[in-house]
Amino acid sequence: MATLLVTGASRGIGLETVRRFMRKEPITGAVVDRIVLVARDSEDYTSALEELAAANPREVELVAYRADVGDRAQLLALTERVAAEVGNVDLLVNNAGYTNPVPLQQVDFADFERTMAVNLYAPFTLVQDLLHRGNQFDLIVNVASTAGITGRSGWLTYSASKAALINMSDVMREELAIYGTRVVCISPGRTATALRRVLAPSEDPTTIMQPQDVAAVIEMLASPVGRYVDSANLVVRQ
Amino acid sequence: MYSLLLLNGGVGQRAGAGQPKQLVKVNGLPILVYSLVAADAVESITQIVLNYPEGWREQIEAVVEDYAIRTPVTYVPAGASRHESVGLMLAEATEDDVVIHESARPLVTTEDFEHLVASEHRNASLMLEIPFTVAPVDPETRRVTGYLERSTLRNVQLPQKFSTADLRDAHAYAAREGRLFTEDATLVAVAGHDVRFVPGSDRNIKVTTATDIRLATYLLTGGDED
Repeated sequence: MATLLVTGASRGIGLETVRRFMRKEPITGAVVDRIVLVARDSEDYTSALEELAAANPREVELVAYRADVGDRAQLLALTERVAAEVGNVDLLVNNAGYTNPVPLQQVDFADFERTMAVNLYAPFTLVQDLLHRGNQFDLIVNVASTAGITGRSGWLTYSASKAALINMSDVMREELAIYGTRVVCISPGRTATALRRVLAPSEDPTTIMQPQDVAAVIEMLASPVGRYVDSANLVVRQ
Repeated sequence: MYSLLLLNGGVGQRAGAGQPKQLVKVNGLPILVYSLVAADAVESITQIVLNYPEGWREQIEAVVEDYAIRTPVTYVPAGASRHESVGLMLAEATEDDVVIHESARPLVTTEDFEHLVASEHRNASLMLEIPFTVAPVDPETRRVTGYLERSTLRNVQLPQKFSTADLRDAHAYAAREGRLFTEDATLVAVAGHDVRFVPGSDRNIKVTTATDIRLATYLLTGGDED
């Protein structure tokens, strides 16, 4: 019995990842029996949960939590509940992301802190607190961005947070090798998500990579073949 | 079931930078972590007896807590010698058999412990063939005094395992005879018990010098796999 936890599960790459792991015929080695969804409370989340419950051919156990992972107190309360109510998390997908792209002179420091809290501190705290509780991960996937590889004008806070996430993933990969845990960082390029609409409002989302494509890559990483491509930041780009 | 006596109390400073060698970092992690995590995953190890150099218990306990070691840990102050330390730790062992390891061997794996425990012999030590020739000498006169047949010699490694009763008997024997031993496989054998060796691995090095740390880091990070 393998348990998957996905943050930012209400939409976009997170929701598609949940859907992918619920499929009727999962690829070998990635059979997940229980999925823990984490997202802020929203109408999107509620309707997504209803839709997932209505089409669940493998009867995967779905456990939904409502929490803002950018709020450290809420996040620590979440990990406590997950450890007590769900038990071990085998696969973790740190997907929740936040951005408010503005030029340097217009960056509100509190907003920069919010960006770092969601994109960097939340993955760190989830991993650290669950490890402290004795959790043993098989696989951790951190969803970064190509914006974290090359800084983009106007995206200072987002680019910086994702660059830090890419770097943190390298450290996690080395340090968690003692447990046999695989740590993968993926950096999707332009993907048709709500976050992308904030970054590029005038872009036609049908012309770019879809969240389902990124979810398929995450599923591949959880499969046996995943260990052959997990040694570096993996760029996923159209 | 086994009590692991994890030797961690040495005060040697050769590899250290102003701290006890068990807190020296190998690839960024305290060297003690590697043995703790590897042993923690061994089901038949149900107790870890861990010693610490005087004044460092708090730091050692913090490592155990931070890494969420699940096996119950019993803390024992280090003795004046390795021999004495094993004796003090042995007094705290609650299981009928013990495994002895030292934190200065961070390349030990869970499989190494399991392989040793699976040996049909109750008293056994990982040992390695010696790939070089050693000579018996008189250090005073520098006279070479004879010949040692390499094929009948082994490099003693850790981990080792013993019947708790046999190891206690051997330590009582050494006390009676007033002898100190630098490791326990030969002690238990000299005390009259049957001890066998299990072939070890040359990766399982003892980290003593700064060069050893670099070599261990190279091996731990897969530098030898390219």
